[in-house]
Parts: sequence; structure tokens; C-alpha cells
Amino acid sequence: MTSVKKKYDASDFEMFFGPAHPGSGNFSVKVEMRGERVLKATADPGYLHRGFEKLMEYREPMQNSVLSDRVCVLEPLQWNLVHAEAVDDLMDYDVPERAKYIRVILAELSRIQSHFIWYAVLSLGTGFMTGFNVAMGYRDYILDVFNLITGGRVYPAGYICPGGVRKDLPENAEKKILAVLDKIEYMRKFASTENLAWLSRFKEVGILTKEEAIKYGATGPILRGSGFVTDVRREDPYEIYDLLEFDIPVHDEGDAYSRFRVGMEEIEESMKIITQALDRLPEGEVRTPTLKPIVQFRKANGETYIRNELSRGEGAFYMVATGEKTPYRVKIRGPSFSHMIPILERLLTGVNYADVPAIYWSLYQCPADVDR
Amino acid sequence: MKIGPVKEVFKNLFKKPMTVMFPEEVVEIPERNRGRHHLDIDNCISCGSCAKICPNRAIRMIEAPPDFKEKYPKTYPQVDLGKCCFCALCEDVCPKDALTLTTNVFLATFEKEDTYVNPIEV
Repeated sequence: MTSVKKKYDASDFEMFFGPAHPGSGNFSVKVEMRGERVLKATADPGYLHRGFEKLMEYREPMQNSVLSDRVCVLEPLQWNLVHAEAVDDLMDYDVPERAKYIRVILAELSRIQSHFIWYAVLSLGTGFMTGFNVAMGYRDYILDVFNLITGGRVYPAGYICPGGVRKDLPENAEKKILAVLDKIEYMRKFASTENLAWLSRFKEVGILTKEEAIKYGATGPILRGSGFVTDVRREDPYEIYDLLEFDIPVHDEGDAYSRFRVGMEEIEESMKIITQALDRLPEGEVRTPTLKPIVQFRKANGETYIRNELSRGEGAFYMVATGEKTPYRVKIRGPSFSHMIPILERLLTGVNYADVPAIYWSLYQCPADVDR
Repeated sequence: MKIGPVKEVFKNLFKKPMTVMFPEEVVEIPERNRGRHHLDIDNCISCGSCAKICPNRAIRMIEAPPDFKEKYPKTYPQVDLGKCCFCALCEDVCPKDALTLTTNVFLATFEKEDTYVNPIEV
């Protein structure tokens, strides 16, 4: 695990944080250390590269929809949504109103379960095993709802597809979602309680200033944790977000604790959005009626760039169609890329080794969308 | 001493556990769950749409076994569950609703042959 450097100075050595570290995900950071102090950190991505951008050039949009789940394991429905919106834009589909509401409800539920995982891995990283177990347990209630609606617990398999959603909500879905919101509220209260262990591990650790956050390309909760008010749902509204009322939680400190607080406060805003959407849920079609099961880019020509506010930040699809069956080029922008490479390397420089897990997990990493 | 944790302990003492004792008790699986395939061969018109739309090319159109060839002369889908990603696009595309996904999720097996869903199970 450790190697002695050329100078044979016993206090200078290199450590590998990951890829076999429990909880680091398929991602590795090489840390050069002197004693307990980190001198330099080098991120080493690429353990989870599956080549989605190239694969999508050989598949039709409906098949790509299934593939888009896999971009990030922890928030598949939101990646479904970005992909579906990109195809809708290229093919000029009018998405039915009911489908838009269902899309938003599922995307927000997906955001909440993703934030629960954030709480779980933060707990895991700091040895707070109760937090991990409770958060993963409560996430399971949301997965049950996904299983009821999409047919899969984790992977919806392209439930949010070009032209709407694949199936209408089942009869008891609304009741079940409302019941799950109560469970979420309990977990939110549990996560929001001031905890001495959390404060001592995360307060004033890994401070990212507002200027640095903008310079290194941070988005989402990481940027909002540094005091910058931004949200794609507000600035560039998609689906029905312009009709809904919600706040954007912002904290100014820029440390690991403020990033975590932003995430936990977002759960409350997501719950508000789901309640509003369920209240206003209209009746009608859920998919463009004239659409055949097989979707091809035969009539589409041009390019599009669609961005969404995912739970980790700004995720986007760039897609070019040239009138063939399949897209000509696809580029995926994962939010974790800028968080996990430049920002992580910057924040780890000069810290104590014991703070490495706290900083690493406070950046809300998803190695799957770094590598794609 | 704070009273909060004690209250929580007593609450959890009388709560139902989150897990179930598996072989005796089973969690109810929703109707939409995407599990093992089922082919209603009498409805199948051998159009091959399922084989075309499958993203993982897990479906192959094969002939029926020799004993059934007279009754079923065309080719029918055979699903390789080892390649299948359970997206249910084949179910959506089927014009006669012949190929469906059931709620059966118990797919672990020791034999490779058992991972195929054949048009006629002999």
C-alpha cells in the first residue's frame, strides 16, 4: 500500500485512496504525504469507463434511453430525463402535460434518494455507521415506489422516454408516494439534527471559496455551498419547473458542512415540488399518441444541447442527428467530472490525512459519471 | 442527559422490523416488475420486431423443436437471459402481446441452458 520514495525519507510516502477502498467507488486518488500532511493529491479516474458516448452512436433513441440509466447508478431517472429531453428537442415532440408532471415527480424522488445516499456515504466515511444504515433503509422506501411505477428498483430502463413516459402511473401510486413522503420527512429530520460528531468532522474542513468554485467549474450543491445562488431549474426552466414554487438553499461558508447542509435542505424543497406536482397532476395521455415504439432520427437534422439540474450539479447531453437511424454524435457532461478532478486535487492539498474522507465525500462524487 | 435517544430506543423496540424472514415471508412484487420472459407461442406472428429492438441482442429467432415443427413452422424468439438487461422494450414493441415479462425474479441457476427462455419448453 505504501512505497518508499527515492530519498528513502521515512516520513515521505505515497498512499492510494481507492479504488479498492470501501466506499470510495471506482475511483482512486494518489496522495503524496509527509507525515500526516498531504503534500499533493492526484486524481486517477478511468476505472469505470464504459464508453456510452460511442455506444450511443450505434443505437436508436429508445435503446439509448435504456442505456442512459447507466450513466450514473445513483440517479438513473434524472439521466433518463436529460436524454429524453434532448431527443424531444431534436425530433420536435410535444410532450403531453401529464407526462411532464410524472417526469418531474420521479426526477425529484430520484434527487431525494440520491441525497440519502450522500448522507449514507458521508456517515460511512466518518465511521458513523448508524447514519449509513438508517439512510440506506429509508432510501429503500423510495425504491419501492420506483419498483411500483417503473418496474425496476434502481434502473427504470428508460421509463422516461422520448415523447413522454412509457406507462401511466398505476392506480395506487399517488397514495403510495404521499405515504413515502412521510417517511422522507422523518429521515430529513434525522439528517438535519445538529450532531456534535458531524460538526467536529466537517466544520471548517475543505473550504472552497466562491471565486475558486466558479474558476474550477463547480455546479449544483457544491457551488451553492460556496454561496453562489444558481439552479438550472430556475435559470433555464425545463418541464414544469417554471410553474412550481421552491427555494434554492445556499450557504456561504464553503466548507464540507455547508455543502452537506445544502443537500439536506434540498430534500425539503424537493418534497415541496412533489406535493405541488401531485396536487396539480392533470388527466390525459402520457406519451405522444402518434409515436411508434421504434423511434429513429430519420427526419431529424441538427444539433442540441440540453442541460438539467441533477442532484450532483449540472448534467447535459449534446446530440447531433444527421437523418440516420442513430445519433451522429453524443456528448455527455457529467457534473462530477469537475468536482472530482480539479476541485478535489485543490482541496486535498495541505490537509491532514484524517480529513481526506470528509472532503472526498462532501464533494458528492459519482465515479460512474466522471468516466461515463 | 438528553431524553431524545431514550425515546427513540423505546419507539424502535415496538416497531416492525424493516426486513422480512426470506424463505417463509416474501416481499410483495409489483405487477410491473420486469422479470423472466414468457412467450405465448400461439399469438406470435414471427415478425422479429423483438429481436430488432433488443439493445443487447439477447433475442434470436429460432425454429421450433423437430416434434413441434409441423404445428409451428416459422421462427420464434429465444431470449438469452445472460445478455438481457430487462428493459421490456420487446414487450412494448410486440404487436400481438405474445412476449411478456413476468414477475418471476428468481433466476439464479447452475446450468447455462436454464438461462435461455425457449419458445417451447420441452
